[in-house]
Amino acid sequence: MSLVLIDILIATVPLMVIFASLFAFTTWLERKALARIQNRIGPNKVGIPCTRISLFGLGQPAADGIKMLFKEDIVPRGADRLFHLLAPILALIPAMLVLCFLPLEFPWTKSLLPVQAFLLDGAVIFFFAITGLNTLAVFMAGWASRNKYSLLGGMRAVAQMVSYEIPLVLSAVIVVMMVGNLNAAEIAKAQTGWDWFVFSPWGFAAFVIFFIAALAETNRSPFDLPEAESEIIAGYFTEYSGFKFALFFLGEYIAMFAISGLAVTLFLGGGDGPGLAELPWLSVIWFLAKIFALIAVMIWLRGTLPRLRVDQLMGFAWKFMLPLSILNILVAGFAWHAEHLENKTITVITWVISLAILYGAASGLNQLNRSNVRPREYKYAE
Amino acid sequence: MSILGGGIFKGMKVTLWNFVLSYFRRDRLTTNDYSWRPDGDLPQGIGDYPKEEGEQLSDTTTVTNYSRNFPMLLHDGGEPMDTVRCVACQICERECPPQCIYIEKDYDENGKYIKRPAIFDIDVSVCMSCQICVEVCPFDAIVMNSQFELSTPDRFGGLLVRRDDLLKSNDYYHQIHPEEAAARDQKMAAEKAAKEAKKKAAAEKAKAAAEKKAAEAAKGDAE
Repeated sequence: MSLVLIDILIATVPLMVIFASLFAFTTWLERKALARIQNRIGPNKVGIPCTRISLFGLGQPAADGIKMLFKEDIVPRGADRLFHLLAPILALIPAMLVLCFLPLEFPWTKSLLPVQAFLLDGAVIFFFAITGLNTLAVFMAGWASRNKYSLLGGMRAVAQMVSYEIPLVLSAVIVVMMVGNLNAAEIAKAQTGWDWFVFSPWGFAAFVIFFIAALAETNRSPFDLPEAESEIIAGYFTEYSGFKFALFFLGEYIAMFAISGLAVTLFLGGGDGPGLAELPWLSVIWFLAKIFALIAVMIWLRGTLPRLRVDQLMGFAWKFMLPLSILNILVAGFAWHAEHLENKTITVITWVISLAILYGAASGLNQLNRSNVRPREYKYAE
Repeated sequence: MSILGGGIFKGMKVTLWNFVLSYFRRDRLTTNDYSWRPDGDLPQGIGDYPKEEGEQLSDTTTVTNYSRNFPMLLHDGGEPMDTVRCVACQICERECPPQCIYIEKDYDENGKYIKRPAIFDIDVSVCMSCQICVEVCPFDAIVMNSQFELSTPDRFGGLLVRRDDLLKSNDYYHQIHPEEAAARDQKMAAEKAAKEAKKKAAAEKAKAAAEKKAAEAAKGDAE
């Protein structure tokens, strides 16, 4: 019994350590990249304490963390103290929990097969079930703060996360259909040898929908309405300071890692990559590199796109992403049958047809959703 | 017809170029790499980043020619309070959007208003560098300084910049913003010339009127 506990610790503690340190690095990376996009320099002074070594400002996350730890924890007088405390914890725990379902094959976990968390059948379902808790945490924070901005942020978050969860799950369904398995490790294994799902028309469409919905799920720009600084101060964590704020921050980034990890598992071949035959441990490196590539795109998009309006956000989810992902399931179903005929010509024809259908549907939906607002015509003022 | 989502890629291309070029072309950067001291030496014992205790508002070199950060009061050289241009008219105090300027007029021992400020304080923590005080000043007494090292270890007194710290000579202004200072001097000279011309014209008019009156009086005497 105690051995099982040790095995569990060996399997899970590295996850906690690796992703928490990657979080620190990502905050630095994000600040630096955004600064460079805006032609600024970004953090570049904090390095090793008591020396002149600045290491491109890599000490900044540590300094921020220490600052957060020592800051006063302020709770508003009207706040619900219990839920105000619970919300950041609840925001962090599901994000941490789902990391266990990522098929990261650490060399030292090879001998611990029975306890590998990711061996769970139905890992994909479990993933969505647990990340759904995040919505509750966000709304709890907004409600418990007793602040109108917090509540507005919480309301927006609930509307947004509930809406975007549907295209997120529906696009993941395609991969589950293709593999016929809900186990994350099996899904990753099905894509070995560059047979990634993103390299097929339906897989690519599903990946794009999944990525956009993931941006909205993790409240990233351009879907960062729940924490829109220019509109509602900081949204649901307006009333949070000190370490509770740090927990929210950590939870947000860990959720980013988790959902990127799921995207990598589902569409980008998991730990698949060159050189795996000689060095099997490279798969962890490939997996983390793919996660970081997705994170880099997220940062890049944050530096590029302005924030959506609430009606645009909801319209995009319900009128564009949802019909497209349902159509995509249909296309993928037909394609699955066509591919099983094992005939090259039929496969090529299927690809062309499904590509045409998906692109046509996307641009058709785009045309349908186009608001017929013309430039304003002035009668008297000129 | 444009490709679906093409606008996003266009925007991403722009940001990518900004990202890459900011590493290669220093002139793209809107800020310079901050050096600890003009002479490049670290302060004794790191951690006292802003500056040492008691050291206030050191003369920092200009960032760029076009940097505008915080107002300063101009004087025309010599003893600052003798040649200060500010007459404590309090226009800037009233126009300041965040209300960060506080002025009191100066009086001599007889209670007579002498045209200079007794107190002229600007709160760094409130000032938003909008330059409206510069725009409204009719005496060209307040202009923007490019000094950016305004952080201080004292958050109560230190953030309130006093009159004597705000006073800077016109030479210093010429040093940091040469073009703007030259233009302002030219404008002031032109205004002064116009004023003197007007005064002269008025004096001549008065003189002519007096002569006419005198002539009329002489005529009356003759009759």
